[in-house]
Amino acid sequence: MDFPSRPGCRSSAVPRARVPALFVLGLATALHGAGARADWELGASAGAFYDDNLTRAQNPADKRAAGAASAQASAINFHPFTGSDSGTLTLYARGELFSRYTGLGNAVAGATAAYRHKFGVGALAPWISVSAGASYDDYRDDLRTSTRVDVRAEAGRRFSEDLDASVGVYYERRYDDNGEPVVPGISGKVFDLAGQGAFVRAGYSPTNELYIDAKAGVRRGDVESTSQRNFQIFIASSAIAADPVWGDPALFAYRLRGTTWTGALTGSYALSNQSSIDVAYNYGFTQAAQGLEYTTHAVYLTFIYRH
Amino acid sequence: MKTLMCRVAAVAVLASPIAQAQNAEIAATVTDERGKPIADAVVIAVPADGSLRLPAKAPDEVVDQVDKEFLPKVQAVLVGTPITFPNRDSVRHQVYSFSPAKHFELPLYSGTPQAVVFDKPGVVVLGCNIHDWMVGYVYVSESPYFGKTDADGKTVLANLPPGAYVARVWHPQLAGTEEATRKTVDASRGRRTAVAWALSLKPEVKIRRAPAAGQRGGY
Repeated sequence: MDFPSRPGCRSSAVPRARVPALFVLGLATALHGAGARADWELGASAGAFYDDNLTRAQNPADKRAAGAASAQASAINFHPFTGSDSGTLTLYARGELFSRYTGLGNAVAGATAAYRHKFGVGALAPWISVSAGASYDDYRDDLRTSTRVDVRAEAGRRFSEDLDASVGVYYERRYDDNGEPVVPGISGKVFDLAGQGAFVRAGYSPTNELYIDAKAGVRRGDVESTSQRNFQIFIASSAIAADPVWGDPALFAYRLRGTTWTGALTGSYALSNQSSIDVAYNYGFTQAAQGLEYTTHAVYLTFIYRH
Repeated sequence: MKTLMCRVAAVAVLASPIAQAQNAEIAATVTDERGKPIADAVVIAVPADGSLRLPAKAPDEVVDQVDKEFLPKVQAVLVGTPITFPNRDSVRHQVYSFSPAKHFELPLYSGTPQAVVFDKPGVVVLGCNIHDWMVGYVYVSESPYFGKTDADGKTVLANLPPGAYVARVWHPQLAGTEEATRKTVDASRGRRTAVAWALSLKPEVKIRRAPAAGQRGGY
């Protein structure tokens, strides 16, 4: 690498691996105390997805697309505290295997705790919820291995049996302890990311089996983009690392500040009260410094079962 | 339970076996417009002369909560009937109704709370504030002569004093009004009189219970 060194780059060297472990331990303790009045559900899902821009790249030559298979298992504990207040604790493990880029294969273990309050009695009463989550994401390629935490707040209501909507905000943090610097003075932790966002969503059931969910959001914060050597992106980036996942030609991962607009449309067909087949389309458009722009399109097919 | 659903509630009106043998029956059949049997339709018969003889005390009835659903989904009772709502699930429920015929709320509970007396005729829609998809119905009849159709769309109203009746039918998805289903039935002594309805039903609109995938996306 012959990038010029540049001062003022952020670096985070604090080990974070204990964060999700402590979080899961705390949740397990809470679950144990929840007792027999809580509702336990086990969930499983399996599916496939295709992403047309896994590198989050602007130039067509830098874009890498691939499909992947995914599977998840979860244990969900629902506990009503009062008629209006409830808590949900979720422990999950999931994995992804990519068809072309084996380094993207990953195994994730995490937990989420959510509190929900309903303002009144009845299905149409408005509600708010807050949640916190943590996970440890172990990628076959160590560069992406990281710890994630996030907090969310959401408010919504149901307008009828077949129509509901909500708005929400969130903050998310991804801690990267593995990125090695390739340019002196510039962090190599390209997946050390922080961001906050807001979203609005609405769901409608045209039939009792079919549920359509539309979601739009905006996120401001760190993004990661991978490309061949690019001076403009380099100038705007706060971390740079060699990204060996993609093979030849050599690509580099950059961390930048950016704004991402997202849209998602999900169609979920209920096979029973416990299972569904979901098809989803996600769109993302990111604008970052130095005129960097990229779009992503992804489609998902997932079978979900809960018991 | 099925026996309870299909029986006539006039348990104390007639006493002697001789008198019962001389009583009349109405055999009701409820189908949709294509002839498909409709279950959970409540058939009510009211003496045409308005002479209702109600029992001194209606027997208690039960609406269970099993696997986070009301069971039975439709319960027909005589006005004044106490209903208990036992919770057979491990998670607590909070049963409520905002219906004009009975406004009540059972705070979050396990086990079996105190019975609720349904003291006004009409339809009572049940909900659970914890599980929004849970919906049940209590039909509170002003007449002791009523029944609920089985999977074949049939029910028999037995032990009716002979005479003329105005019969009607109600169902949660009934497209029109209950009054529009009225029929005059001449229930003769010692005979079974067949009555049939072909109802127009609205599509059932339910709050979804099935899981859906969370949405994902990287940056």
